[in-house]
Formats: sequence, structure tokens, C-alpha cells
Amino acid sequence: MLPYLLKRLALTVPTFVALMFLTFVAIRLVPGDPVEVRTGERGISAERLAQFRHELGLDQPVWKQFADYVWALLHGDFGTSVVTNEKVLTEFAALFPATVELSFCAMLFAVLIGVPAGTFAAVKRGSWYDQTLMGLSVTGFSMPIFWWGLLLQMYIGARLGWTPTSARIDPIKYYFEAKTGFMLIDSVLSGQAGAFKDAVRHLILPTIVLGTIPLAIIARMTRSSMLEVLSEDYVRTARAKGLAPVRVFGLHALRNALIPVITVIGLSVGGLMAGAVLTETIFSWPGVGKWLIESIGRRDYPALQGGVLLISAIVIFVNVAVDLLYGVINPRIRHGQ
Amino acid sequence: MDNDRRSAPVISAGRAAAASASVTNASKQAPPSSLMAFWASFSENKGAVIGLVVLSVIVLLAILADVVAPHPPLEQYRDFVRVPPVWDADGTWRFVLGTDGLGRDMLSRLIHGARVSLFIGLMVMSVSFVLGAVLGLVSAFSNSLIDTVISRVMDLLMSVPGLVLAILIVAVLGPSQTNTIIAVTVVFLPRYVRLVRASALAEMSKDYVTSARMIGVSKPYLMFVTVLPNCLAPLIVQSALGVSEAILEAAALGFLGLGAQPPTPEWGTMLADAREFIRSNPWIVTLPGLAILITVVSINLMGDGLRDALDPKMQRS
Repeated sequence: MLPYLLKRLALTVPTFVALMFLTFVAIRLVPGDPVEVRTGERGISAERLAQFRHELGLDQPVWKQFADYVWALLHGDFGTSVVTNEKVLTEFAALFPATVELSFCAMLFAVLIGVPAGTFAAVKRGSWYDQTLMGLSVTGFSMPIFWWGLLLQMYIGARLGWTPTSARIDPIKYYFEAKTGFMLIDSVLSGQAGAFKDAVRHLILPTIVLGTIPLAIIARMTRSSMLEVLSEDYVRTARAKGLAPVRVFGLHALRNALIPVITVIGLSVGGLMAGAVLTETIFSWPGVGKWLIESIGRRDYPALQGGVLLISAIVIFVNVAVDLLYGVINPRIRHGQ
Repeated sequence: MDNDRRSAPVISAGRAAAASASVTNASKQAPPSSLMAFWASFSENKGAVIGLVVLSVIVLLAILADVVAPHPPLEQYRDFVRVPPVWDADGTWRFVLGTDGLGRDMLSRLIHGARVSLFIGLMVMSVSFVLGAVLGLVSAFSNSLIDTVISRVMDLLMSVPGLVLAILIVAVLGPSQTNTIIAVTVVFLPRYVRLVRASALAEMSKDYVTSARMIGVSKPYLMFVTVLPNCLAPLIVQSALGVSEAILEAAALGFLGLGAQPPTPEWGTMLADAREFIRSNPWIVTLPGLAILITVVSINLMGDGLRDALDPKMQRS
């Protein structure tokens, strides 16, 4: 296992170097001078300008800038926001739990509904339920989630008033220090009555929006994987033994049908990150996705650069982790010799 | 022409599998023509046929937008701002689907929007198709260095989440319709390259490629005339589904203000403009998204049918 892990991690190194190069080049190609953004419209003296350039390292040759950039990255320095003057890593780390919380809930929502729905569709293959579910699955898979978010805000949030339509918690009623960054945990820790319930209410719509596409994929995947497993001999044996259908489908079949589903779950982390950008923008959810979009508007290129790099790094590592997990769950595929 | 005969067994093997998989009633009669077999297999999937019909209507509307649309898409009727659709008590037949915040006719903008979205989708698809075929074949046929470079670059592009990569590219190039096409193409290109590379590698060990090599055909001929036709089935399926993904991605960029710029009647951009009317005028928000959803669903349904008909080996998931 360990040699495989090391090999797998070593394989990500060239990707990382290329990724650094990509973000470095991309930012150099951006039109507009980062120094001018910082100085504003009134302008400053030539000396100050030169000083700024020096501070940002812009007076160095390009290869030196790239070398410095990589060196800084290796030391955990992802640059400094030109707008807030905060370290990009600090800003990212402060906002990331909000994105994780949202993504986790979305995935949980997708799995908790998708797996039973897909299983049931496979068992009742060809029934009206199966056909309806597959129709819904295509719709969900094709959903422009930014529009879906607006619709839910409009009808569930504004019209019916069942849920709030933005932010993570009501900031007027509840105020407490972020201890973990996860609102569900912090609200409990705060001990304020109703805070947890309010946090949950704020989570509902964003969770549904972000979870819709994974839900569609998981339901469909579970169904097809279950159909395959149901024709296996051991399922027939279990049925022939006279086991209760719940045991046959729920235990014997589902366990094996879930293996490909777990891979799909792992691989959709990239999709979740992309979806988080849209979902967070719609629901004013203070996570890294919204921050990324805002950094473009503010021309905060170090933030954009660091953000893209960090998000990609996380996705790459999660994919490695999924690979390893796959070997653990599926004994037929053991890594390494 | 010679080449057709050489590659024929592979193609017909695939088609035969398609026909038997769908259990056509033609088995007793003479073997159907390949187009007939394709249609028989495709039309068995009702969703695919519905998708095809709906998509055809949308394509027609897009082509005939100038004739069909009741009003010019950019014309602002200042006296008719935010008129509701005709089914509302205050609606009028003059503006069937109502007007937006600037008094522009929704129906006309949606019809012209079909043109914009389909154009973006088709451009992304055709550029990715051509580039993907070329890069994939070059990768499969060349020495390990070029292969490694192409494969690594594709790995890199795939390691950044799609929309995030598109956002980065648009942030660098500036928001516009052309740059949207470039960004979305870069995001989806790796899938095409990998697909072509993998299928070309699988084909290369087959007898007909060996015999073509022994005859001494040139490398480009071998790549594009001998091998490529046999990699087309999965590539066509990927392209069809790729159009819908490209439309979604472009609309998302438009919604974020990073795609086609106003006043272009792009569906995603229209939604971005509409956000302020969430509480007051729901149709301005509902209709553009519905247009995106219907288009994407119909393309996906059709793509599923294409996959079943063309590429029975590919698993439905």
C-alpha cells in the first residue's frame, strides 16, 4: 500500500509544477497593471511606483519571478492579496470551511436520496417509478444550477418564506466567534438557543442546489450498477435460499453495487468545487467560490492565482485518496505488489 | 476507396452488435442498410426521438430567428417595461412571453438566444472535435516524448475543475463571446484527446492497421484515413454530449458576468440581468433558464440514443 501511495503521489508532482506554471503565466498575461490597481485613480509619484514594483518583484526578470514564485509556494506562501493585503492562504483557509460544509451536505443529500432511489429503480426495473426517476435524472443532470438556485430562492424562499435566501446564519439574531469555521458546529458550541436550527435553515437551499447534479448522477449510477449485480449468481443464490428481499437487495446486492458509486462520488469533487462557485454566488455563501469570483471583479490577481492553485491541489489530492480508498473497498483491486 | 474495404469489418462488427443488442425485427429479412440499422436502433429509444424532435425545433428557431421573432431582440419598448406573459391577467398578445426590465420582448430574446447558445455549443464542439482528433492521433502515433507532453498537458487541464479553469482563462482574456468559446474549448478538449488516443491505441494492434503499414501507406494517411474512421463512433457520441455541456458552461460564465456581454441575448447573461426581479417579476427569471434546461435535456436525450445506436460497447451510466 505504501509504495503505491508514494508512487501515486510522485505522479502528481509534474502536474503541480505545470499547474504553478499555468497560473504564473496566466496572471502575467492579464491586461492591466497590478500596481495601478493598487494605487488607484489619483496616481502616485514615480518613486513610490518603483517601490511598489520592487515590493511585488515586478522589476525582476521573468524566470526569476517564476523561481521566486515556486520557492514561495514551497514555503506555503501563496501570495498576498493586493486588495486586503492579507495572505492569500489565510483568506482561503478562513473561507474554505464554509465551502467544505456546503459541499459535504450537498454530497450527503445526493447519496442519501440517490442510492435508495437508484436501488429501488433497479429492483422495479421498467416500472413507471423507474421511468420517472430516469427522466428526473436526465433533467437533474442537465440542470443549469444557477437558474435552479434562483428558482428555489424565488418560490421556496421569497414566495413561501420557508427558508432564508442568503448567508449562513441570521447575523442580527446570532453572533458568535467562529471556532471551527463550520457553522453547524459553531452554532452548537455557541450555546445560543435556535442558532443551530437557523444555520440548518440557511443550508437547505444551497445544499439542494449544489447536490442536484451529483444526485442525478448517483441515482443513475446506482441503478445501472445494481442492475448488473442483480444478475449475478450470488444474488440468485441468496434469493433461492429464501432470504427476505430487503436482505437480498440491501445487503448482498447493494454492497457490491456501491463500489462504482463510491468512485463516482470521489470523482465529482471537482464538479462540486465548480458548482460551489455558482451556488455560493447565488446564495451569498461566504466560501472560496464566491471569493474567487469577487477577486476577479476586484482585479485581485494574486488571490485568483492562489485560489485556483489551492482548489486544484485539493481536487488532485482527493482523487488520489479516492484511488486508495477504492483498493480498500474492492478487494479485487489491490494496489502494489 | 480501398481503405473503406480495409476498415469495413471493424465498422460492420460494431453495427451488428448494435443491431443485435436492440433486437430488431429485421433479422429474418435481408440485412438492413447501415443507416436503417442506425435508425432502427436509435428510434427504439423514445427519449432520444423526443430529444431529436425538440432539438430540431430549437435549431429551426435559431436559424430562422430573424423571421420568426416578433420583435428585434434589442429593441426597448420603454412604455411596456416588465409586461407579464400573455397568460397573466395583465398580459398582452403583443408580447407573448412578456418583456424584461428594459422593455425588450422576452420571446424574441429567447429565440435569438437559441442562436447564440447553439452557436457557442457547436463552435466548441467542432474545434474540440478537430483538435481532439489531431492531438489524440498524434499522441497515439508518435514517440513517447510527444505523447508524454500531450498527455501531461491534458492531465493538467483536467486537474483544474472545469468552471474554475474557464473562469481563469476568461479573467486573463477578458469577458466576451469569443473568449467564452476559447475557455470552454480548453476545458473540454482533454476529453476528446484522451478518447481519440485511447481508441487509436486499441485500433493500432489490429490486423488491418498492420497490413496498411506493410503496404507502406504514409503516416498521415494511416492516422487520418485508416485509423480515424474506426475511432469515430465514441467521438461522435462525446461530441453530441459535449454540445450540451458547452452550452451549460457558457451559460454559467454568462451568468457570472464573464461570458457574452449585455445586451447580447445569451440565456445565461439574461439570467444575470434578471436577478433583481426575483421578487417582483418571476417570468424574467424563469424563462431563460427554462430555455437552457429544455435545450440541454433534449441534446442529452439524443446523445443517449446516439450512444446506444453507435457505440453499444460504451456503458450507460
